[in-house]
Amino acid sequence: MDRLLALSDELAAAVERAGRALYAIHARPRVPSSGVHWRTGFIVTANHTVHADEELTVTGPDGRSASATLVGRDPTLDLAVLKVDAGDVPPAELGDSDAVRVGHMVLALGAGPRASWGVVSAVGAVEPRRGDNDLLSLDLTLYAGFSGGPLVDARGLVVGITTSGISRHLQLGIRAKVVDRIVDQLVRHGRIPQAYLGVSTQRVRIPEPLRQRLHLAQQAASIVVEIQAGSPAAAGLLIGDVILSVDGAPIADPLDLRGVLRVERIGQRITVKVLRAEQVHDVPLTIGERPARPR
Amino acid sequence: MDFTSVAANLRQVTVELIHDERILGSGIAWAPDWVVTNAHVASGVHAMLRRADGRQARGHVVAKDLEADLALLSVPGLGAAAAVAYQGELRVGSLVVAMGHPLGVRGAVTAGIVHAVGPLLPGGRTWIQADLALAPGNSGGPLADARGRIVGVNAMITGGLALAIPATDVMRFARGAMMSSK
Repeated sequence: MDRLLALSDELAAAVERAGRALYAIHARPRVPSSGVHWRTGFIVTANHTVHADEELTVTGPDGRSASATLVGRDPTLDLAVLKVDAGDVPPAELGDSDAVRVGHMVLALGAGPRASWGVVSAVGAVEPRRGDNDLLSLDLTLYAGFSGGPLVDARGLVVGITTSGISRHLQLGIRAKVVDRIVDQLVRHGRIPQAYLGVSTQRVRIPEPLRQRLHLAQQAASIVVEIQAGSPAAAGLLIGDVILSVDGAPIADPLDLRGVLRVERIGQRITVKVLRAEQVHDVPLTIGERPARPR
Repeated sequence: MDFTSVAANLRQVTVELIHDERILGSGIAWAPDWVVTNAHVASGVHAMLRRADGRQARGHVVAKDLEADLALLSVPGLGAAAAVAYQGELRVGSLVVAMGHPLGVRGAVTAGIVHAVGPLLPGGRTWIQADLALAPGNSGGPLADARGRIVGVNAMITGGLALAIPATDVMRFARGAMMSSK
């Protein structure tokens, strides 16, 4: 058998297979984004592409349009879940996203279907310290409108959701396993719980003399600029506190803090090491759940 | 077949359009002594063409369609080696290979997949849209499938996508132009 031809046919078959559960999501101006019929009646897409909460329209792989309602968002992972009457459109065939390894050939699909191919370039995103296992960095092009579409393996199984990220210049894949967990929570609890401390922070450089005096390895930390009333943070943090670490993990900028706030840690006690009036303090806090947005 | 043999076959039918030793773009030896390229590559009346083996011949433009971005050149002495074109359906996701002289690199091969086939905007012309890296110098060169059959003429890049004129359109243009030039 001609190997190149076989590969070509396999890739085309993979596009067809994954394309059966592929939706166009009309929830922002101009270019529609993509979404995957994840479970019967539930479409997963990229949160940053869903500008409105109501009056959303989706177009199925059969070309039929339907109205959809937003049922939950996870801005941290950049996922949104919509509810729709999917009719005859089957849910996606999911692959084992734990089996995805660096170097594996993958496809990204956008509504149409349109396709892009490449390889998994790394586990985790941008920097290894933020590289929690949930995300994959992809060596492929996410064309306009691809965000929210499926990351597909060579067999045509959906192993993740792609997104260009909040900053819109990345090529990320969110593992199917993680997406599944989110959809599970939504189906079971009717909402996506989000871990929450109730602080806004900004990156700051630690002055060199202070760094040396306190024997700190890190050069930057996160300063607390806002604390929400009644939040877990209000129980111990003060505006102006410089967060150095959480449970020993350095917090060099707000993204590191966001990395700590994982949904499975809701209810857990943590120790926040802060710099306050040039002294280091240990502040015990409990990770809470973000309250529902007022409507 | 592998990429190497597909590339080797394509190199036989891919020519350079040159001017003062500078590569203007690529062309395809469509039929013996006939070359197809983009209208924007063959900007003048005459052009020098060079094959992969170094053989050169002077060609003249016998037909040009600016809207289709296609040109046909008669190149006496360029010799045989005719392109094998494929006008059938292309599946999204199937492999494609481009041959040309991107940024003056002679006979460079790039591989990718079919992104979509159709207009960029509703009502527009049909393009083969490929997820494949092209650069200036690829214009006028072949886009081929995994069998090495030419499926289109690379014409431009937009939003990172490679756009090729489908072989059907090229065939129609070339056939018409050859007939009327007789």
